[in-house]
Amino acid sequence: MDTLVTFIQYPIYLLEAGVLGYILLRRRERSLLPVAIYLGLLVALDGLGRSFVLHLYGFTSLQYAYFYWLTDVLLALGAFLLVCLFFRRACAEHPQLWQVVWLVLVFVLILVAGISLFSLSRNFDHLFTRFIVEFQQNLYFTCLVLNTLLFILMQQLQSADEELSMLVCGMGIQFAGPAANLALVYLTPGQQYGADLYRHIHPFFTLGMLLTWFYALARAPQFGRIAKPQRVAAELVSAGRGEV
Amino acid sequence: MAMFVAALILIVSTGMFLFYVHAICQRILRREFEQDYYLAIVNANRLEFPAVRQAVESWEAPVDYAHVRLTLKCDYLALTYLLKNAVNVNRRYTRQEWMLAVYFHAILLLLGLCHKLRLGERSALLNLTAILQYFANVIGQRVSTLRFGSLSAADYLMNL
Repeated sequence: MDTLVTFIQYPIYLLEAGVLGYILLRRRERSLLPVAIYLGLLVALDGLGRSFVLHLYGFTSLQYAYFYWLTDVLLALGAFLLVCLFFRRACAEHPQLWQVVWLVLVFVLILVAGISLFSLSRNFDHLFTRFIVEFQQNLYFTCLVLNTLLFILMQQLQSADEELSMLVCGMGIQFAGPAANLALVYLTPGQQYGADLYRHIHPFFTLGMLLTWFYALARAPQFGRIAKPQRVAAELVSAGRGEV
Repeated sequence: MAMFVAALILIVSTGMFLFYVHAICQRILRREFEQDYYLAIVNANRLEFPAVRQAVESWEAPVDYAHVRLTLKCDYLALTYLLKNAVNVNRRYTRQEWMLAVYFHAILLLLGLCHKLRLGERSALLNLTAILQYFANVIGQRVSTLRFGSLSAADYLMNL
């Protein structure tokens, strides 16, 4: 089991560091600061922290299980904040829309915190079994819904930001897979088998996200850009003026 | 109640996962090439997917489903062979090509399902031709880097 986890995870750690390095080498850390911070968090917690604890205690140890779930919560919260910042980038040309979106995001955060506290009070004795699975499942699903709303919003606004579009798709993979997987864990009798399965499968979704992000960062300028109707109209008007 | 919510999340999340995979593939297919490299490859290999696309786009009478499916599969086999072996030192797909190859098979499966359930096949067929055009463009772009005297390989193939 340990060998399998190591075989899957170490290439992913390298890829996490690789994508972060790519952003830094291309000097895009300013424009992609939220992504760089999230990747830094992934490298620190997922790449270094988990490897260290796994090396010290082993895959089946309680310490690794605690560390894994706690860092998973932190990463999910980090991903939630990243989606919020993606919303901000998508609404860069629409400040009034951002005012509304901002309120919705705060409301969602309060709602998730409230539901989690209620669930915590009911499952305090099963903190690292039932509660953590339910909490993570709800958090990932909330992020998935927000991410999908962002994707739809971008389609509605006819956003020309193809890089953001691919980054959002990558996040969708990262949220949808674990949310489905955690729901399966919750539905599995005993949950231990499901939890082990989750720890094996989760890295593949991170891999999917990282590969999509890498593609977005490396290839986004080559994508066909969708012309905004307003921009096309303005160009046509200015071209018409030029002729007169 | 919690079980019901978990089952609902499982179904919706699985659906969303497939949706995002579809969205990523569509974005890869939207890549713009400097020119229509695929024309030379279609001409040299007598591929039929442009004709299929034209027939589907001006679709008024029903097309021969079995023939169209076979045609697209043959074009796929030819193009994937070329993708691996034409001007490709590694002789393997890139990650995008691999993903699109899986996507092609998934749509082909969906096409069969749509045909059996008598649902619209038009969108699936257009997606398949878009994937084949992407593959042909990639091969054409690679081939265009070669030159035969004053002619590029693409020009040479166009004159065949």
